[in-house]
Order: sequence, then structure tokens, then C-alpha cells
Amino acid sequence: MRISLRVNGVLYEVDVEPRRLLVHVLRELGFTSVRVGCDTATCGACTVLMNGRPVKSCNVLAVQADGAEIYTIEHNDEVMSRLKESFKRNHAAQCGYCTSGMLLTSYHLVKRGVKSEVEIVEGISGVLCRCTGYQNVVKAVKEAAGL
Amino acid sequence: MKYVGRPIPRFEDDAILSGRAQYVDDIELPGMLYAGFVRSPYAHAKVLRVDLTDVARQRGVVAVFGPREMGFAPGGKVRYQGEAVAMVVASDRYLLYDTLEKAVVEYEPLPAVLDVFEALKPGAPLVDEGLGTNVAHETVYEGGDVEKAMKEAEVMLEGRFTIQRIIPAAMEPRGVVASYDGDVLTVWSSTQVPFDIRKEVAKALDLPLTKVRVIQPFVGSAFGSKLLVYPEEIWVSKAAYLLKRPVKWIATRSEDFKATTHGRALTLEYKVGATRDGRVLAIEGVVYADAGAYYWGEGLADTAARMLPGPYDIRHGRIKAVSVLTNKTPLSAYRGAGRPEATLFIERIMDRLADELGLDRVEVRRRNLIRQLPYTNVFGMTYDTGDYLETFERGLERLGYRQLRSWAEEEFKKGRLIGVGLSVYVEITTFGYETAILRAERDGTFTLYTALTPHGQGVATALAQVVADELEVSIESVKVVWGDTALVPDGIGTMGSRSITAGGSAAILAARRLKDELAKATEKLLGCKPEYSSGEFKCGGKSASVRDVVKAVYRREAEAQLTVEAIYHADATYPFGVHVAVVEVDPETGFVKPLLYKSYDDVGFVVNPLLAAGQAMGGALQGIGQALYEEAIYDEAGNLVTANLAFYYVPTAAESPKYEVYFAERPHPSRHLTGTKGIGEAATIASTPAVVSAVEDALRRIKPGVRIEKTPVTPEDVWHMLR
Repeated sequence: MRISLRVNGVLYEVDVEPRRLLVHVLRELGFTSVRVGCDTATCGACTVLMNGRPVKSCNVLAVQADGAEIYTIEHNDEVMSRLKESFKRNHAAQCGYCTSGMLLTSYHLVKRGVKSEVEIVEGISGVLCRCTGYQNVVKAVKEAAGL
Repeated sequence: MKYVGRPIPRFEDDAILSGRAQYVDDIELPGMLYAGFVRSPYAHAKVLRVDLTDVARQRGVVAVFGPREMGFAPGGKVRYQGEAVAMVVASDRYLLYDTLEKAVVEYEPLPAVLDVFEALKPGAPLVDEGLGTNVAHETVYEGGDVEKAMKEAEVMLEGRFTIQRIIPAAMEPRGVVASYDGDVLTVWSSTQVPFDIRKEVAKALDLPLTKVRVIQPFVGSAFGSKLLVYPEEIWVSKAAYLLKRPVKWIATRSEDFKATTHGRALTLEYKVGATRDGRVLAIEGVVYADAGAYYWGEGLADTAARMLPGPYDIRHGRIKAVSVLTNKTPLSAYRGAGRPEATLFIERIMDRLADELGLDRVEVRRRNLIRQLPYTNVFGMTYDTGDYLETFERGLERLGYRQLRSWAEEEFKKGRLIGVGLSVYVEITTFGYETAILRAERDGTFTLYTALTPHGQGVATALAQVVADELEVSIESVKVVWGDTALVPDGIGTMGSRSITAGGSAAILAARRLKDELAKATEKLLGCKPEYSSGEFKCGGKSASVRDVVKAVYRREAEAQLTVEAIYHADATYPFGVHVAVVEVDPETGFVKPLLYKSYDDVGFVVNPLLAAGQAMGGALQGIGQALYEEAIYDEAGNLVTANLAFYYVPTAAESPKYEVYFAERPHPSRHLTGTKGIGEAATIASTPAVVSAVEDALRRIKPGVRIEKTPVTPEDVWHMLR
């Protein structure tokens, strides 16, 4: 099936098998920052923003995303850049494998005007991190959100 | 010192945050093929027939390999669920997974043995018939006079403590890419040990080391689960070599949970003799390891046995370490590898002794802590430096242990069930050699090639700090490169909290040698013996910068080695610390929420407190996961029922406590050039006993006398203990 995706503002037209997952199509387009960490939609490493909302792209068929606006961490607008600086300053990434998922989930939280630490913790709890113990991620998001 | 000791953010983050950090699955080569494995659904079975004729005919299939070609199912049987029996190589991953299901494998199921104590019974099914027993390894560690000391003891404790199987669950599953260009075989692997892979692949394919290059790309963490050379690394290399096409294998999560080693899974049966005032005289017992189907994780039970006395002055001991084969995924290192188990065992024993004698948990430790360092424990481990008693007292004060206890009491009056736990540890880090190569570049910058294999720790940044200080140059002028056997001849890698101590000391040694080399050239250039300071050589009123000297060498005006190599041998060193955990128990559901985790560590000098704290916090949460949530569960038939992240509970942000990380104000450095001792595993080692102790403390407020004798302490366990 022929579908079109707008990824980080650029239009892509691709021919995909109906069973192909969005995460695989994005990775084949070169967006390897979208990562695969599980096969049960549990880990959140493949999180992208689809039409402004965070989705686990391993749980979306590429054909379901036809016509969608997708953001990955390469979408370096002011909020994303601020988050990245804050992640670096606060040592919020270790191995980096979950970082894309963390950044995109956090981006959504900041854009939505997250108000409290509790909301941040709840917001990022859909992305598993085995390295950091989460505190520095929460701190980084708080700082980027101006809390 | 300019950089060492400062919380410098990581250089590694630039690649990660840009999204361009390359992990093994991100490597795509022209003509790439995709490999997958047919894996046994049985825990123990004879493999009667593997028929791949139908698979070979499927669309997209390029090659199939059975037991004969690759040596799958040695001895004609599989020993654990998930063991490979066949390999399929296809042109597309979706087609690959379609075809894997079409392989015909005829099995004759055999009775599986899944429990250590069953496996030890006469007549138990044998995991390895050739061995004639399920005992893969057994050693007795002994010191002092146990019989005499036990006779003198006024108090005796006897018991058993069981530590569950843990799935390391690195966020990036294992994967391998191999490519052979007719000359050199290049292998990329999500590994901690590229140098070992190089040796094993060369051996398996009968190639000289020069024809095998192994690259460690970015690795999505490991925690010890990637420090063995795995069979897939050999099989994928062999397939690429035979097919002369690049081949990629990436484990699915459930495949990874079965085909990547598990950790912990030790049980201690113990007898302890003590005086009535709480001094432990002797310890005796057996440490059993549930080693799984192959004895790959050598020495886990042994490390646990030898470190069992912990930071306590116990003069008489005899511990047998027994590693027992079972029909489960092989056991190997998991963050701490033997030390977390030893610490949990001895800390539980100390808590129990305190209870028996009506002593405070602090007091019983105070009475037993080693008074004078260096100290050789009863099993021959020589703890190098430290002042345990002083660090313990200062730590308790710094962590506010007593205040937390009174706060918990107050909260109980308001209806909250809060527990405060404590643990003390000594652990062993660092071994072997490490290699560093330092090169002076034409523009006055430096490239350090390390044999270390970082995978999240920030080792490259810490090495840059160490080298920049030694060369007295700006940290931006030092670039650290790792993970390529073509750049460094040999090394061991990042594991066992050894990186900065071993690899950092190698880097310092290399920097010193490079300065000597450059000084030699400068002497020729300036005609006098120069002094080096901040990137400049000076003598007789003249000066030359590093850049001037390097250029002069290229112009043949002077001679020097611009690239120097250093091999540093770093034997063991012993960090020490005290940690405190605070948890809240919901008596209705039995759920335990960790509220606060505080650590105070004497790990020698701290090169980068920002990164060291990162290790402490992440390490603590892993130990908390072990204490409360995680367990690899097998059913009676040997099916791994926690085979993915939906059923295996890695803690999320919601379960994570707040952390406070402190390092000793007056640390006791190791004797190595960096003065460091290692921080990678300390909190994983200390956190499980602290949390278990905290849960017990909370439960006793409404159920005096409860005692926890296993991990994990699940909500179900808590619920039952309260009934």
C-alpha cells in the first residue's frame, strides 16, 4: 500500500506491506533514533509523536499512520533543544537506548504545560530505563519545563 | 588537578541526543541478510530430526544451517528452553520470521530438572550426561578453626536465604552484524568483550587475529549480561564468512530473555556462631548456584562465598561453593556478580543476630566491623584501604539514619507503615590488565584509544578528564575512542567496576610516556632539557608547544614516538559504604513503595561526581528491583513464563524512590594511579539488603517477629506475612 508520512516536516511516500509496523518503516527511512526494545509495547523506546501525541510506534501499523505528522528526536525545535541541553546537563542519559522515547514523552509533557513532578513521573513511566534510576530524567524535564 | 573531581557532563551525549548514536541494529550494509534461530520450546529434549527442506524453499530464504553445520544442540539434545537448533538466513526480516515457524524439528522430551536441590538428589535427570552429575563445580573455602569457634559460641543461628533468578534486561537486546569482504571479517556486536570475540571468532574460523576485526558500537547497556562470547556471535560470523554477505541477527525481547544469561540465583545455607554480646565468631555453610544449562558463569558462587564475611571481622569460616546445572538459561554475571549476594546474605545474618540478642542493628554492626585495614578475610581476600568504623559512623550521620527512624515512628502514629533499613558493604572491584594508546595530533590535540568498552557509564568523558589533567591541557583537546580491535591490540573491557581504575590508570601511564617522548624531541629542538607545563615545553628561555614538537617530528627535525601504548595491570581494590532505604508498605495490597534511597560510599577518589552519582542511582534501582519486583519464573515444565517485559517487572519511574548520593569526604584511595576504586556496582550491592531490611522494619510495626528469608519480597509475600 502506498502511504505518505510527514516526518519532522518532510514528506515521504512509501510503499508498505499492510502488516509492516510504523517503527520498522521509520527506521528504514533512516530514523534509527526510533528504537526497538521489546515486542510487547512495554518499553517505550520506539515512542514517536504522531499528530502531536506520543505513541509507541511498534504498536502502530505504518498504514494506520498514513497522512500523519510524525516527530522524532531529530525535530529540533526550541523545546526539543532545551530538553536535550537539560538532559545533557543533568546526566539524564546513560546507555542512550531509551533516550529517544524519554525525550519525546518529555517533549509532549513540556508542550502540554506539565505542572508538577508527579505528572512528570507519571508521564515518563511508560518508558523503561534500566540505567538511570529516573531521578535525573525527572530533574531534566523539570528544568526544561521551568518548574 | 583541573578536571578530575568535577561534575562534567558527558561528551557521549552529543551522539545520543542527536539521534545518530549507532547501535548494532542501526548498521545496514548493502546486500544485508537477516539471521534468525529456531529455538527449542522444551527445557530438556533429545533432538531427533531437524528438517529444513521446506524452509529452504521459502521466499527470501538464502541459507539454512542445522545442527551439523553449526554445532547446535551438542550431544543431540537441548538443555533449556530457547536453546538454538537451527539458523535461517533470509533477505528480509518479516520473511525471516514467517519461515522460522516452518522448520520441522522432532523432539523427544526428557524430564527437566529445574531446582537446585532436586538436581542434587540421586537419580535426578542429568543436564550433562558426560559429567555424570549435575554438580558443575565445587570448592570449599576455609580459614581459622570453625569447630573450635562454634564450640565457644554462646549463640547459634541456622538458616537458609534464597535469592531469585534475575533477567538482566538491558534495554537493547543482543545483536550481531558480520561482514566478510574476502579478506577481513568485521563483526559488530552489542557486547562488553570485543577482544574476546575476536579471539573466539578467529579460532572458530581458523583465521589469524589480523583477519578478524570486532567493533563495539553504542551498546544499550549490559550489566554483565554481555561479557561472555555468545554462540550467536560465532554463528553469525560463520554465516557471513561462508555466504560472503553481511548478516545481521538482532534478538527479539523474548528471545533475548531466554538466550542471554541470567543472574543471581544463589541460595545460602548457613550456621553462625556468636558471643552473647553480638560478636560473630564463625560462619559455616554452603552457597548453591542455580547455574542453568551450561556452566558459563564461573565463580559466581565462589565470589559470594569468599566475600561472605563482608566488612566484618569473622576469624573462622568454612563455606562450600557449589554450582549446579539445571534446565534453565545459563547463569552468568549480573551487576555485582557474587558481591550483591554475599552482602545480602551477611547483612540478613547481621539483622537476625541483632534480633536474637535484642541489639540495635547499628550496634551489632559496630561491634563486628573490621578495625584495621589492610585486612585479609578468613577466605584470603585482602581488603586494601579504608576506615570502616569511622566511615560507618559518619555515613549514618550524613544519611540521617536516626532521624529517619524517628520520623517513621511518628508517621506510624498517623497510620502510615514506613520502614527504614540499612546495609553496610565491602566489595571487590578491578582485575587484569588494560591497554591505552595515546596519540599526539598535528594540531596539538590528543586521541586516546582505550580497550575499555563503555556502554552507558560515561567512561570516555572520565578518561578525557584524567588525560587532560595529566597533560595539563583543555579537556576539549582530548578525544577518546573505544570499541574497535583494529585500534588497540588487546584489552579486557568495561565490567566489574574496573574501568577508570584499570583503563584510567593505563591512560595516565600513556600520557606520562607521551610527555617523555615529546620531551626527548624538544631537547633536540631547543638544545636543552625542557620542563613541561600546560601543553608547553620550556628551557633556556625558549619554548615549544606540543603542536610545534609534533610538526617538527613530521619534518624530521626531531625524533619521537607520537603514539605511545601503555598496558597497566590493576589488581583488586575494595570499596566500602553504608546505605539507607526507606519504604512504605500498603497493608491492604502488600505493595511496597520505595520512598527514599541514600548512599554514602568510600570509593576512593571520584573522577566525576555527576557520573558517579548516575551509577549510584541506577545501580540502586536495580537492587531495588531485585528486592521487590523482579524474578525469572519457570513453570514445572521449564517454560520461562516471564519471557518479556510485560511479565518481568523492571521498575518504572513510578516505583523509583528519591535518591541522595554522598561520597566520603575523606576517601581512602586505591593504590592505582587514579586512586579510584570503582562505583559501577556499589549501589546494586548495597541496595537489596537495605530495602529488604526496610520492608521487615515496616512489617514488624504491626507483625512483630516477621523475618524475610528470600528475594523478591513480592506484594503477595507481604500480604501473607501480614496475615
